[in-house]
Amino acid sequence: MDKAMRVREICDSFRELCSVPYNESLQSYKNDGGLIIGVLYNQVPEEILTAAGILPVRIRAVGSQGTEASDARFTQVNCSLVKHFYDSAAKGRFDFIDGLVATNGCDHVRKLHENWTSVLKPAYSHLLCFPKRQGDDLQVTQLAKEIKKLKESIEAHFGVEITDEALREAIKLHNRTRELQCALYELRKGENPPITGAQMLAVMMAGTCMPREAYNAQLEELVALCQDVEGISDYKVRVVVYGGEIDSIDFFEAIESQGALIVADSLGGYGKRSADMQISLEGDLYTNLANAYLMERPAEPRLHGTRAARWEYLEKVAEEANADGFIQVFIPICDLWGYERVMFATEVEKKDLNCLVLDTEYIFTASGQTRTRVQAFVESITEGGR
Amino acid sequence: MYFIGCDLGSTTGKVVLLESLGDAVDSCRIVSWALEPSGFSPEETADLAINRACEQAGISRDQVAGFCCTGYGREHVSAIPYNVSEISCHGKSASFLLPSARTIIDVGGQDVKVIALGKTGKVVDFAMNDKCAAGTGKFFEAMARTLRCTVEELGEMSLQSVAPVSISSTCSVFAESEVISHINKGVDRCEIAGGIHESIARRLMAMVNRVGLTEDVVLTGGCAKNKGLRVALEKMIKVELTEIPCDPQINGALGAALYARDAYDGEK
Ligand SMILES: Nc1ncnc2c1ncn2[C@@H]1O[C@H](COP(=O)(O)OP(=O)(O)OP(=O)(O)O)[C@@H](O)[C@H]1O
Ligand code: SF4
Ligand SMILES: [Mg+2]
Repeated sequence: MDKAMRVREICDSFRELCSVPYNESLQSYKNDGGLIIGVLYNQVPEEILTAAGILPVRIRAVGSQGTEASDARFTQVNCSLVKHFYDSAAKGRFDFIDGLVATNGCDHVRKLHENWTSVLKPAYSHLLCFPKRQGDDLQVTQLAKEIKKLKESIEAHFGVEITDEALREAIKLHNRTRELQCALYELRKGENPPITGAQMLAVMMAGTCMPREAYNAQLEELVALCQDVEGISDYKVRVVVYGGEIDSIDFFEAIESQGALIVADSLGGYGKRSADMQISLEGDLYTNLANAYLMERPAEPRLHGTRAARWEYLEKVAEEANADGFIQVFIPICDLWGYERVMFATEVEKKDLNCLVLDTEYIFTASGQTRTRVQAFVESITEGGR
Repeated sequence: MYFIGCDLGSTTGKVVLLESLGDAVDSCRIVSWALEPSGFSPEETADLAINRACEQAGISRDQVAGFCCTGYGREHVSAIPYNVSEISCHGKSASFLLPSARTIIDVGGQDVKVIALGKTGKVVDFAMNDKCAAGTGKFFEAMARTLRCTVEELGEMSLQSVAPVSISSTCSVFAESEVISHINKGVDRCEIAGGIHESIARRLMAMVNRVGLTEDVVLTGGCAKNKGLRVALEKMIKVELTEIPCDPQINGALGAALYARDAYDGEK
């Protein structure tokens, strides 16, 4: 088979896996007796679950058709993401999970975790308290303790032992994933990126909803193939998307349909930020995990004291990818990213950057308006309007 | 040399037939134009409007050297692949008609767009309403239905208002029930119409604030023909709106026609 075709085939199969909560890969894993823990958001050190022999699967309410079940438990000022998550959970779309782990990412997620735990009563549930600021050893020590608590709680509930040896292997496995993902990001910096931003999102998300060894194997093949495929040239501008837990491939496709090729991102959920760290295997593994997740990983706006670092990271990413502009994406009512939008606006003005702000509800439906906005943005860059 | 711009909006298709009379950028004239309610297919709407504009001008379609589409249906006319966003088209046309234009407020059937132009007429920033219909033509139409009048009459009535009622809901559905409760209380229809226009002007102002207000300010789109809206908006933003020398509803289509001409010139 021709290489470009094989690349497309792998990306399509990843996309297929991301198109339903309980995909074929998870079904066959469960049929073989495997255990699955649903993970809310990206701050959970999933290495612990892998070391326990449990598959962590990131919760996504893909294909959700409503929020009726949530309306009684959430208010108008809760974001649509948590409402769709809860609704899907209440309708049994995540019944395949054997437990749930969340962090106190934001108040909305906490409320989601609370409702899920108290009303829907999953067999196992744990909330990991993640520090609110980046700073010194104090926070790292605290997070390391929290990670140990998670470990002990898993051991007690599932009757397993998480040995240092197993944890070491798990870290290696996850490090390998991140390394391969970074390699793919590296290849997309070139003038003719081998895959689109929408395809990359599928690649990143697939890693959170299938067994990791199999994922790494496919990713390995994909990276090798992408070294020498012809690449994409029919785009008008190169953009970097910036935001939180955006998981809609359709949304990215709408952006790219207007000639704005997404060549890099600073996305926490399923983007470059989640891949940009390597966990050390020297010394105490729990401290290493804490250090990586809190200090090394490019920060979210939720972490106080990281504003300058967030910009630095974003600018570096854009520069390396030779981007012409930024698209900031966020879900309305999200405090974290709403705040970041305001912060971003001052930065954009100061530096006279090309920037478009796009919002989307968790389930992306405003395709027409998004396309108009992006097209106008592309035109304003290509006509040298700014 | 003839060019056609086709603005396939969510409620109305607009076509402008432009004749270029020489090489200078401004040497052209609008020969004819046509409005057509948007049907199920943009393709069909475009066809009907184009044919009518050509008929009026007494030319055949083959005589047209270039076409360009804009508006919601812009990507769905197979015969005209070239398309440009409404934002750029409204900007292009407004600055062509009125080089001093810096802010354009386009109030169409379903969308509101505020566009900031730089000194050279290029788009420097823009804002668009979200999915909600509040503040758009659809909102006026719903309110007119509730008050059992036409949108034109609604605008006229608002001009008579001296103490407009307050309509605080930004959501069309809630605003409608507010209007109904005013009707039931026996409030004068003109004051209700005044309140409706004021509430829309407030919403538009919020969007204008997102991109900033620089004079001259131009109001475009079908709703710009509503005198009541012009007056309410001028009061709210405390700036006099500048008129453009054509029907404000065809501004986007004219922009598209100008792009069609540019593209033709570029290929020559
Ligand atoms: N004379 C008039 N007075 C008041 N309103 C009018 C008048 N003529 C048209 N309209 C309103 O203008 C609206 C249509 O305007 P326009 O053609 O600019 O919208 P559109 O381009 O189809 O919509 P959009 O830009 O949102 O996709 C309709 O809602 C109609 O009610
Ligand atoms: S989108 Fe924002 S508000 Fe919603 S869960 Fe995520 S961080 Fe919290
Ligand atoms: Mg329009």
